[in-house]
Amino acid sequence: MFPWQKQKTAAVQKRKERKISRNLKSNVAYIEEQFSYGINFDFVSQEIVSPASRYHLFFYSTTIDTQQLSDHIISPLLEAKKDIPISRILTVPSLASIESMNGAEKGLTAGSVIIFKEGSPEAFEANIQDFKHRSIEKADNERTVKGPKDSLTESLTTNISMIRKKMPSKDLIAESIEVGVRPADPVTLVYVRDLVNNDVLENIKKRIQSITVDNIRNVEVLEQFLEERPRSLFPTMLYTERPDNAANYVSEGFIAIMMDNSSSCLIAPITIWGFFHSPEDIYLRWAFGNFSRLIRAVAYLITLFVSATYVAITNYHVQLVPIDLLLAVASSRERVPLPITYEVLLMELAFELIREAGVRIPSPLGPTIGIVGALILGQAAVEANIVSPIVVILVALSGLSSFTAANYSINHTLRISRFIFILAASLMGALSLLGAIIIWLAYAVSLNSFGVPYFSPATPHTKSSDDTYFRKLLKNIKWRPVFLKPKDVDKK
Amino acid sequence: MELLKKPMRARELIAMIFMLIGIKGGDTTPSLFADEAQNALWIAPIVSFVVILPPFITLMYLLKKYQTRNLAELLHHLLGTKLGTIIGIFLFVGAFISMAADMRNIVEEINYLYFPNSPTIIIYLIFIVICLFVANKGLESIGSLAWAVLPVIVLTIISVMFVDFQATVWQRIFPILGGGASIVIRDGFSLSSVFLEFFLLTIAYQAFHDTKQFRIGMYTGSILSVLLIVLFYMIYTMVFDYNTVDNIAYLYQESTEIVPLGHFFTNISTFFMVGWLLSNFLRFTIFLYIICWLYGALFQIKRFEGLLMPISFLAMILSMIPPNFITNEMIVRKTSFHWISPIYLCFPFLLLAASLWRERRKL
Repeated sequence: MFPWQKQKTAAVQKRKERKISRNLKSNVAYIEEQFSYGINFDFVSQEIVSPASRYHLFFYSTTIDTQQLSDHIISPLLEAKKDIPISRILTVPSLASIESMNGAEKGLTAGSVIIFKEGSPEAFEANIQDFKHRSIEKADNERTVKGPKDSLTESLTTNISMIRKKMPSKDLIAESIEVGVRPADPVTLVYVRDLVNNDVLENIKKRIQSITVDNIRNVEVLEQFLEERPRSLFPTMLYTERPDNAANYVSEGFIAIMMDNSSSCLIAPITIWGFFHSPEDIYLRWAFGNFSRLIRAVAYLITLFVSATYVAITNYHVQLVPIDLLLAVASSRERVPLPITYEVLLMELAFELIREAGVRIPSPLGPTIGIVGALILGQAAVEANIVSPIVVILVALSGLSSFTAANYSINHTLRISRFIFILAASLMGALSLLGAIIIWLAYAVSLNSFGVPYFSPATPHTKSSDDTYFRKLLKNIKWRPVFLKPKDVDKK
Repeated sequence: MELLKKPMRARELIAMIFMLIGIKGGDTTPSLFADEAQNALWIAPIVSFVVILPPFITLMYLLKKYQTRNLAELLHHLLGTKLGTIIGIFLFVGAFISMAADMRNIVEEINYLYFPNSPTIIIYLIFIVICLFVANKGLESIGSLAWAVLPVIVLTIISVMFVDFQATVWQRIFPILGGGASIVIRDGFSLSSVFLEFFLLTIAYQAFHDTKQFRIGMYTGSILSVLLIVLFYMIYTMVFDYNTVDNIAYLYQESTEIVPLGHFFTNISTFFMVGWLLSNFLRFTIFLYIICWLYGALFQIKRFEGLLMPISFLAMILSMIPPNFITNEMIVRKTSFHWISPIYLCFPFLLLAASLWRERRKL
């Protein structure tokens, strides 16, 4: 350790160990100094003098419920006639005694009211916090037609309450561990005690605890710190905003990672099938759910390969195309000066631009995107002989298909992989395209997420609900996913 | 962290065997058989399989009996380090030559059929680099990959058979014994090392979930592969008849080229290239990985993945020596098979003899 770090840690240590004194004045002075009383407009330091004793309250006026403060803390204190302990005066539901200044500081920053009493070496923390957050709204990014509509919101307590409502069981554990130092943020792991695999749980905890960074505010950032391969194209944790989806995973033995300030949670470990499934697949009847999966599988294939295949075939394997179709393609690009690869790349890039702009654009300007996209990039480009109509069709098709992705994380994987395949196809036609596909696939197969192979239960095979390409009838599902090694395998 | 230890099961092995051996139905091996056996080219592999069965079962029996980790350890255990290594080197060299010749064939095939204007060496380089990338991921990934790609391959095979059946005339299978019974049996004997991969795969004896899974996978996979090969060769015979069949080099592609699919798709052979090429990438990935493993195990090299690159490039350079495809196929490959076959047919019996001798000495 460097000398300056030693000094710093020593100072922090000293501050942490400070006890609450019997002298009210010195306590008040210390807290007021620590919390920059007078500069912080919302930091309140209020003295209360009752007939029996003197009290001092500290709180942030912006983080507490003022109604509760006046009804359950201030009025009882003022009305106290005898010198009895605070715990017997106050009528708040959550009251805790603290003995060190460090505890008092933590309580204050967490939005509680801290009450000191003249002549007493302990303080009380009354938890009446009221942090403002969005109310529960409809899931915006993972929509379903059939099934629950609520989505997680940026308040941890609300989120946990939604999960508890879905899984009323004493075995559902919401364990909190801390990450970061400035300030330390709580991370909550939600799991079912008698299902979860302890190795996986310990692994996740260890990874969270070994993160050395000043702060992590939400699961979106946490995800990148937790992943084994942060540069990989494939996500190894599922990011979902649907509490029903999270509850479904948790009840199978997976672990949900939640944080305050995130309107989503992470599911770990996850396999590639998790990104391919939508929660609606289970809510829909067997045939309908599987049909929608089939459509989605086709869409994934189109997104990944249609442009690349076009490049490969038209450049290298013309003999494959039936002669009528070949003539149609040739005549449509008779006056296009660009080589096919550039043409396809140009249009794919244009589509990515529209998509990126569509995400960032302020909503009043939204309709502009449609006009620019459809008219200028589509029709006008064709009329100006920059691109051929068939390429517009292909790019629109692959773009449209990429929106069917059931999860936002995999969407990026598909989009970026598509460019890799187009470039590979332009190099040596089907040979290099198939080579790129097999290397891509070999990479995907070699991945694992917290010890779980990425393609299980398909390969390596384990007992499971066999929920990969298609799902079974719900009553025929016998096993929980064994690749997680849950404590209880049998579902019945 | 790994939650599942040794997760590979029989299905991955079956997929790997299918890629490694079943795919010989679609390369230039049939023309090798057809050269002498003529329209009995589908009987010759059956003969070969029957010929290799006793040594193969002997080897499996010995592996089970001694519970050693793999082929190389068994050699060392039964024959002593020196003799075991020498036999191992023979096996390695045989497999290496066979791989090099096969690889040249495949590359020539790709070159001739799909990229006639490109230099062979470029295609060869691309091919090798792809195989190296995949092989570097390790056996578990290769096994999983083989299983993941299998649906595509099976779909291709089924559609090829469906298409080819339209052009078959079943009477062409006669005379059943082609050039004559003695010729077919001799051909089957001398070319029996087309199945030498079965012996090589025993290097992975302990790499699967348990050895029972390995045995199940091995037997099921080999029977399925041989069935596939025989079925394919039968179709070739019935499509081309005896005079043409021994004059065509690329039977798989030719057979798909002559059949149109309806009035719209008149030239569909490139469709079937997808599965064919994917399986060939995997075939040489597995082959390369296994012979590197054998080499590593013989000389106690723990991290044998480092050998992949030198061995593959050496194979590439050596296989470029024959001036053209015909020389490579009809002289190098055929002659090497004639030399390799006895080694592979005999070494399990040598091991068995050593095992018996050891037991007798113990008593």
